[in-house]
Amino acid sequence: MKTLITLVLSLILSFTASLVKADSSLKVNFVIGDPGITSINSMTFGPEGILFIGDSKSAQIIAIDLSEHPKVDNSKVNIDLLDKLIADMLGTATDQIQITDMVVNPENNNIYISVNHSSGTPVLLRVDGNNLKQISLAVVSHSKTSITDPIAIDAKDKRGRELRKWAVADIKYDSGKVLLSGLSNKEFASTFRAIDFPFTDKQNYGSLEIYHAAHGQYETHAPIKTFLATKIKGNPHIVAGYTCTPLVVLPMDKIKPGEHHKGRTVAELGSGNSPLDMIEIKNGEKRYLLIANTNRPLMKMDFTDLEAYEDAITTPVTKKGAAAGVAYVNLPYVNVLQLDKMGDAFLMIKREATGNLLLRTGNSWWFK
Amino acid sequence: MKNHNSILLILLFFTLEVFTQTSPKLIVTRDHLIIKKSRITTDKLIVYRGEISNTAIPSSTHILGKVVEEKETIRFSPVIPFGWNQKYTLVYGAIIEYFEITLPEKYEYLSVKAVYPSIKNLPSNLLKWYFRFSKPINESNVYDHIRFTDETGDTLTRVILPLNNILISDNGLLLTVWIEPGRQKRGLIPNQQLGTVFEEGKEYSLIISKSLKDQEGIPMLEDYIHQFKVVKADRKQPNIDSWKIHIPTVGTTSNLMIHFNEESMDYGSTLNSIMIKDSEKNEITGNLKLINNETTLVFTPSHPWKKGNYHISIDAGLEDLAGNNLNRLFDSEIKNTETTNLNFTMRTLSFSIKETP
Repeated sequence: MKTLITLVLSLILSFTASLVKADSSLKVNFVIGDPGITSINSMTFGPEGILFIGDSKSAQIIAIDLSEHPKVDNSKVNIDLLDKLIADMLGTATDQIQITDMVVNPENNNIYISVNHSSGTPVLLRVDGNNLKQISLAVVSHSKTSITDPIAIDAKDKRGRELRKWAVADIKYDSGKVLLSGLSNKEFASTFRAIDFPFTDKQNYGSLEIYHAAHGQYETHAPIKTFLATKIKGNPHIVAGYTCTPLVVLPMDKIKPGEHHKGRTVAELGSGNSPLDMIEIKNGEKRYLLIANTNRPLMKMDFTDLEAYEDAITTPVTKKGAAAGVAYVNLPYVNVLQLDKMGDAFLMIKREATGNLLLRTGNSWWFK
Repeated sequence: MKNHNSILLILLFFTLEVFTQTSPKLIVTRDHLIIKKSRITTDKLIVYRGEISNTAIPSSTHILGKVVEEKETIRFSPVIPFGWNQKYTLVYGAIIEYFEITLPEKYEYLSVKAVYPSIKNLPSNLLKWYFRFSKPINESNVYDHIRFTDETGDTLTRVILPLNNILISDNGLLLTVWIEPGRQKRGLIPNQQLGTVFEEGKEYSLIISKSLKDQEGIPMLEDYIHQFKVVKADRKQPNIDSWKIHIPTVGTTSNLMIHFNEESMDYGSTLNSIMIKDSEKNEITGNLKLINNETTLVFTPSHPWKKGNYHISIDAGLEDLAGNNLNRLFDSEIKNTETTNLNFTMRTLSFSIKETP
């Protein structure tokens, strides 16, 4: 018995020690101060309350520590006229603001909304009850890294540099890496990057173009609008949603610096549509992919179907507006503009037919 | 010291045009509001957007900002500067004041300075537009203000690739807009079902609506209209061997000119893809600009040219108006679907500068 108690105690101690170690190792490079955020284009949560922000304007990724925000129950969150509320808080009109992203911290269910104002000021808000609070970005514990174009000419002077932009489309964290998709205005290339985290001075990131030959003989490397890092048949994969609707999968281990690959197109989500956001929802062993779209309702795809689909769509979909490949169902949520997972359900920012922009939870019933 | 402060306040009142005095006790600029501290209230100073009546105050959302109490005054600094010609309500204890900062008479309105490609005849598979503005633009919902119309005045649909995060230069002046590539690329569903955006032989207008605002929320004074005609699709890669180089004179900072065989090149891609190097492969600093409807690149060196050999280093990713680069056509057939090498190669053109004859 004594041995058992000792064993249990030593297990608890080693577990606690590993937690402390994990904490210190991920935030070891964090400093307190102004990270100089000039735009918030895309956000995602990593472990330990670390929020990653893609800032295209300053060509940087910033990790900020938001672990101090207390655990909350946002399951009943319900905000109407969200854009008006934000505009009123900023003393401006709704056409002067753009909600750029919404994320939920999976560890404490805090909801964060990023807004860019026409004056060029980025604002980060946290949902507090059915209200919003501003998070000061002037003094935060953070770490950051630059995302300058690795294939661009390294110009010594300033000429032409204003042109070289790389706009972050989506950002995700997975197993010690910050993954980014984006589009450059220099050449038509959909780039995908993986940056090691914690950030180091010596950066080691890969750049990637993904080919998808979905439509017969012509290649395309259209921009990845949104993506997800997940497992397919137990192996790490990227599921990417392209601007011109194909859903593509690519094994993570194929992503290597300096190479580009052809992803496997597993679904066509209907032309005239573009995916906006993508999340994975688990219910026990069952996993579902949820996709928000510009011109289609919220789609639910069963991972079992995705994993069972071993083909690649290589012929054009001839029926106008038709979908192909892995089957999905349309959920009764239209105009979902922002989407994230919250608990065993989901959270969305959605435009009603009346024009009302609302922040609301989706029902977990759809996954049971 | 108190006197000095009073003098300073009086000076501020009378010298700064941007200040608006709506009440003897109130000073407002776009960045802050100052009011004399009340001795009878401990209430917080709160500001609302719009003219809010006493009864509507409890149900209204106040503006985010920082309140700093000074010795005699309270200063409120909004997170976002107060807007021009926008009414606000200040509530401080029993005081309710309405204020507004009027737009200066000599306000410099936003305008479009240039559009690239500037040539009037454009290939039907054109891929990008660049717009240069006189001042930084409001980056929210930009695409709502840009449209294309056909000869009958009808607005074309599904022209622009709607990126959530627009491609705008750091200074907010140069906007890049992609024509929806799915329609411009042969074989893709949008292309097969809807055809290319622009049809050969037809004329179109690009309209940047006057509703586009600057970063201070003030719209343009008039629509910007740019007319163009659409010609045959460009399905040829740029050929650097056909380019002509005008060699500059030794000892001067005269221009090096590169003529692209009368082909208009993509504005952003060209300025980013070409570099001039000396015989040691060191970059020559200077200024690059595109002229003659982007068919000619002009390089003006920072220092006089020396005798010797020079190289024009060209990134093979350099694109023409249809996105064809030195390596491939924009919608070329895939020959090999296996892993291919991403490394863009560099191409080089060389020239020599000799002593003055």
